[in-house]
Amino acid sequence: MTAQFDFILIDDSAFDLFIYEKLIIKSGIGNSVRPFNSAQDALEYLASEGENLPEIVILLDLQMPGMNGFEFIEQFDLLPEHIKEKIRIYMLSSTIDTRDIDKAKASASIIDLLSKPLEIGVLKTILIN
Amino acid sequence: MTEKQIRILYIDDEEHNLQSFKASFRKQYNITTTTSVVEAETFMEQKDFHIILADQKMPGMTGTQFFEKIRVRFPEPIRILITGHTDISAAIDAINKGEVFRFIDKPWDYTYVENAITHAFEIFSTRAELKQRNLDLEKAYEELDKFVYSASHDLRAPLMSVLGIVNLALMEENVESQNEYLDLIKQSVKKLDTFIINIIDYYKNARGVATITPINFEELVNDVTEAIKYLPEFENIEMTTDIKQTGVFESDMMKLRIIFNNLITNAVKFQDTKKEKSFIKLTILATPAHTSITFEDNGLGIKKDDLEKIFKMFYRAGATNSGSGIGLYIVHEAINKLEGEIKVTSTLGEGSIFEINIPSVNK
Repeated sequence: MTAQFDFILIDDSAFDLFIYEKLIIKSGIGNSVRPFNSAQDALEYLASEGENLPEIVILLDLQMPGMNGFEFIEQFDLLPEHIKEKIRIYMLSSTIDTRDIDKAKASASIIDLLSKPLEIGVLKTILIN
Repeated sequence: MTEKQIRILYIDDEEHNLQSFKASFRKQYNITTTTSVVEAETFMEQKDFHIILADQKMPGMTGTQFFEKIRVRFPEPIRILITGHTDISAAIDAINKGEVFRFIDKPWDYTYVENAITHAFEIFSTRAELKQRNLDLEKAYEELDKFVYSASHDLRAPLMSVLGIVNLALMEENVESQNEYLDLIKQSVKKLDTFIINIIDYYKNARGVATITPINFEELVNDVTEAIKYLPEFENIEMTTDIKQTGVFESDMMKLRIIFNNLITNAVKFQDTKKEKSFIKLTILATPAHTSITFEDNGLGIKKDDLEKIFKMFYRAGATNSGSGIGLYIVHEAINKLEGEIKVTSTLGEGSIFEINIPSVNK
């Protein structure tokens, strides 16, 4: 039996939220999926849940109106340690801009940059290892 | 620029030289004079001069020394040295240290001075123009960079969505549910197509040659509505138009079409489904000299913070159902090109009013 994870999806595209939520559930890798179409809302959720949060995997889009992916990371870094240690962030983006890619790689809080479309096999391998 | 606007500063310790210069040229140029190099610097701090004339032989400081001193702080004005006796080493210094443009021999000759000033001003204007061009280019490069960055995202994102849907559809054993996925693909493809059409509009607006024709607003509005009434959301909105047109108003049809298309589509797209009845009211008042257009809707409205940013390139307000952030930017550019104005007032949850004023091209 494959391990299951609790996911938070952050993406301004309603399409992509829908697609990836379904994909995660169908593939059996997800225990729960909580979609956010705004990074600000997701951040508020993390801060308010605090202690009650389970271990979470976040798939974070990059280009979003309002707060973008990198701005989310900046704010995330300010959260208390006991929240951050429960969270693993992967950036999920269609970007091919080298500046974005370098920035994502350089960030200590972003474990990896995954490219859209999300290949569920790739995600499984990454999460289980 | 007319000659009278050529601003000249003339420094000479002999008052009567200043007087005779003024007497000869005050009708032609904007002249400031002083006998003191200290006062000259004060004048330069207060006013931008195009040309500076200085006498070489002054007590305390030579013209060359003065030029050498001010050259770094005031690099723009063109420097002309007036000198009674030209000795070669003074001339070398004037050129190398003072970087003067011309020498004028004393006693000076009217035509010679006029000639020197005309040429100096030409150089000044060319340099200023070059500087402006460079600034424009820098801005254009910056915009291009931003454009490529955002456009590549907006072109790829819908495609990646389609691939994601295909991945999902392939996992589905139930063939019946494929239609749902096909519908999603269709929406994503349409989004991409809209973006491409916007990009083409942007290009036409920015680079295309304007064709000026008499505008029939009734026809224009009908044409635009005809094209967007197939949007699924269009059914739910009631559009009323009040068009009063007297005489012939001439303008660029293409740009007006871009403006109408984007603003009506936005009102349709951002309608507030919680309201019982959605409406868009379009009011046009056209005279031969001027047209005012008002789009009023009771849609979602725009946040106060977003109001000043919505016309920026690729600025997307709000997360739900948002576009690529190029529509209103193109509208703004088109109105600018028509030398018109756009004003927006909006209350979140209540609706938005866009007011546009455009002069006739042949006003």
